[in-house]
Amino acid sequence: MTAHIEIQNVSKRYGSLTVLDGLSLTINANEFMVFLGPSGCGKSTLLRMIAGLESVDDGTISINGERIDNLPPGQRDIAMVFQSYALYPHMTVADNMAFGLRNIGLPAEVISARVAEAARMLEIGHLLERKPGQLSGGQRQRVAIGRAIVKEPKAFLFDEPLSNLDAALRVRTRVELAQLRNRVRSTMIFVTHDQIEAMTLADRIVVMNNRKIEQIGTPMEIYSRPASRFVATFVGSPTMNFLPVGLSGENGFARAKLPDGTDLQTAIRLEGINGSGHSLGIRAEAVKLANGTAATTTGKVEVIERLGDRTLLYTRLKEGSVVIAEDVGNSRIAIGDQVALALDGARTHLFNAEGRAWHNEGVGHG
Amino acid sequence: MAEATLSGSASAAKAATRQAVQNVNAPLWRHAVFVAPYLFFFVTLLVVPLFWSMWLSLHKADAFGVGRFVGIDNYLRLFRDKIFIQSVGNTFYFVFLTVPALALIGLLLALALNRKTKSAAALRAVYFSSSVLSVTIVTLIWRIVFIGNFGLLATVYGWFGATAPAFLSDPKLTMIGIAIATVWWCIGLPMMLFLSALQQVPREIYEAAALDNASRWRTLWHITLPSIRRTFVLVIIIEIVLQFQLFGQARLMTQGGPNNVSKPIVLYIYEAAFTKWDLGLGAAASEILFILIMIAAMAQYFISRRRGEEG
Amino acid sequence: MSSMSSGRIVGRSTGDRIILVLVIALALIMMAPIAWIIALSLKDNKELMTDMNSVFHAPYTINNYVNILATSSVFRWILNSVIVSGGLTIMTLVLSSLAGYGFARLSFPFRNTLFVIVLLGLAVPEQAVLIARHQLFSWLKFHNTYHGLILPGLAAPFGVFLMTQYFRAIPKELDEAALLDNASRFKIFWKVLLPLTIPAQATLGIFTFLSSWNDYFWPLISGTKKEMYTLTIGIASTQTNFAQSEGLGFLMSQAVFAGAPILILYLFFQKYIVTAVSGAAVR
Ligand SMILES: Nc1ncnc2c1ncn2[C@@H]1O[C@H](COP(=O)(O)OP(=O)(O)O)[C@@H](O)[C@H]1O
Ligand SMILES: [Mg+2]
Repeated sequence: MTAHIEIQNVSKRYGSLTVLDGLSLTINANEFMVFLGPSGCGKSTLLRMIAGLESVDDGTISINGERIDNLPPGQRDIAMVFQSYALYPHMTVADNMAFGLRNIGLPAEVISARVAEAARMLEIGHLLERKPGQLSGGQRQRVAIGRAIVKEPKAFLFDEPLSNLDAALRVRTRVELAQLRNRVRSTMIFVTHDQIEAMTLADRIVVMNNRKIEQIGTPMEIYSRPASRFVATFVGSPTMNFLPVGLSGENGFARAKLPDGTDLQTAIRLEGINGSGHSLGIRAEAVKLANGTAATTTGKVEVIERLGDRTLLYTRLKEGSVVIAEDVGNSRIAIGDQVALALDGARTHLFNAEGRAWHNEGVGHG
Repeated sequence: MAEATLSGSASAAKAATRQAVQNVNAPLWRHAVFVAPYLFFFVTLLVVPLFWSMWLSLHKADAFGVGRFVGIDNYLRLFRDKIFIQSVGNTFYFVFLTVPALALIGLLLALALNRKTKSAAALRAVYFSSSVLSVTIVTLIWRIVFIGNFGLLATVYGWFGATAPAFLSDPKLTMIGIAIATVWWCIGLPMMLFLSALQQVPREIYEAAALDNASRWRTLWHITLPSIRRTFVLVIIIEIVLQFQLFGQARLMTQGGPNNVSKPIVLYIYEAAFTKWDLGLGAAASEILFILIMIAAMAQYFISRRRGEEG
Repeated sequence: MSSMSSGRIVGRSTGDRIILVLVIALALIMMAPIAWIIALSLKDNKELMTDMNSVFHAPYTINNYVNILATSSVFRWILNSVIVSGGLTIMTLVLSSLAGYGFARLSFPFRNTLFVIVLLGLAVPEQAVLIARHQLFSWLKFHNTYHGLILPGLAAPFGVFLMTQYFRAIPKELDEAALLDNASRFKIFWKVLLPLTIPAQATLGIFTFLSSWNDYFWPLISGTKKEMYTLTIGIASTQTNFAQSEGLGFLMSQAVFAGAPILILYLFFQKYIVTAVSGAAVR
């Protein structure tokens, strides 16, 4: 049981407020698709439109070639895990899972077999007779997933299911979700505003912002070839460094003049770059401390973040812009040190003032 | 059962497809079946009688049927009727006697009993207990207290060789007697309303005041009372609305007497409509009561809507 | 003031003790009339006629209560009250729950307008509709029937208001999860949401029962036959004239007998009753 979901030109309005504007996207059978975007960008709305909890103002949604946007939620063969879990508080765990199956009139043996199987898979067998109020947050979360699994739906929808868990549990559940995903072969759509969840779980990510899809791609595509400045900013931690640059060319590749006057040769084809107000994007991992010769520029360290395996240095360049550089975990640098930075020109991105992006060829193509 | 068309579809063809959409949020007539049973009773037993009463008040009507249209005649008769005017005065007098007493005693009790001890909880229960009794039992109790020769009051006064005030027959005292019984009966509600307001005053304020070495009285005056000001107004209005409808106590304790000095508006309405069967007159009097209560209820509405604005 | 706020930390001050003593004294005074009628109800009628002060000493007797069992109409009135208040309570709960769910959760044409109109109904005092209702019931020949006593209470908007508020406070995700679980709207109401409204049902049920039990107006004009009296009306009818009555002690025993059930109910459901009564006042 799996679903190939086709979303075409879908729009959503609340009165005069347009929340989604002509979105199109395809989710392949068995794919783990993540909707990623800042809070309020319409991820939940899109997910709830697929579930049938919100009406579709324009456009169509089909599953396996069949139009479903005119079906009531219960007939779409879809299961959803809510952020708040939405367990029925007065029913036991077993009844919570069985409720939907009873409603479609499955025989009692089938129901109990499915509940038992899901409970085994999620290791909640000992909780079956408890009420949700007697469970911890993590246990409730499993029950909510169990309630979805027993339905054997064509597609699973998750709306920020990890955001109510504490940090440690969130990481563990994330791993478990990835494992579960391998056992339950089904299409999964997962909504989150957390880019790490998106990167670790997704087959493909849909980055959304401001009523629109910014980019659809595999995690590595999104990370290394962000389609817009928004995506580049939103994905990756620490956030990408941006420096306003002037462009010139050398044998077809762009050469960027940094604000402090130094030149940086990129691997991005000059041809096709348009617009004005260009800036150069470079992630911290492509900015290292230079040992003498390779130095691109210098800066003064203002903040040091020690992450254990690496150290982030927030350095201020001569003219005032800040560049985050990466150093080894046991870095000896101290605040106030003047450091020489080496920017890796092959791992840079260029953006124009409208946010369009250009990348070098070849890197990160998955 | 038509389904409302979703807005926003550009072309007619699109609109037609949308028509079939089973939108969970779309307004559907069949959803109204959940409210229909209640609305049936609401309309037949509240809305229709409300307008019917207004209509009645403009007609001559008795137990046998509705007669001719008389315009505002019934209202004019009311204003010419000394007993009606007196009953309005009596009602205001009664409200004046009971409402401040209820609010102040309720507030004092709430201040005294706002603690987490067992004795405070028990005392709260005692003070509220009279509120659950019916007006019949309350008046029975108080007549037995007030009654001439063998009442509790007479007995107690007798011990000191004194004569008890005649709360049931002295024209100057009957309204006061009814008011005493009413305060005894109704004190639970204002107390509870004040208690729940007091419990909503944030504890940090008191802790801050304690750190500032504020005295007991200063804390009471400058912190506690200002923070329940809105509740105080609310209690006053609620009680005005309630006490305006005085009926059972007056009917059962004094029958409105002697000489109508303790007859409130509702008793007047009752007598006009159901003993004299002058339904038009009774309806007119009840419209006047309605207007008076509406004014108070409106004030309550505006004050309770403003709840959010104050702290 | 520290004593007035909650959670007293260390011992009580003198001021606190004085306040406590005053409050207890006032409570005793308040309870004195009740003690007085209980004492009267335990005295022989003839003895009371000759000497009121005999109340303060033995012999006491339960004969008056025995006589109630034998002669009084009190049982019939209690039965009537139970039928009327019980019937009204059950029907109010059903109608208010259905309507509360409808207004809080379902969308239908004119929903908001209708809800506002119902809320406006909260401001209508009983007296403004009584006369017309009475006339309507005369034509329908509903007076002196149980349904005649029950029906007017069903129009009161308070229950709908309370239940709507309560349903609104339940997270909407529960409905949505149930919709995805293939439940019909009625099933969602019945199986998913209604069990969660039990505290509100208790509050509304107790409030409705209590106000109906104590109602002294509609039963007075509608249930005018002695065998249709509710307890409240019945007890009132016995007390028109103490002097000529079957005896003071007997009268008082009837009052105690009539008041006791509601007071006992109060002892058990105190918290709910207080919430119900104060909630209804503020609404
Ligand atoms: N019922 C509604 N009425 C009006 N606006 C809404 C409603 N639901 C959501 N919105 C608006 O739609 C936008 C998208 O919401 P949502 O899909 O919940 O965002 P996300 O899940 O990405 O945080 C938000 O700006 C929100 O304010
Ligand atoms: Mg969301």
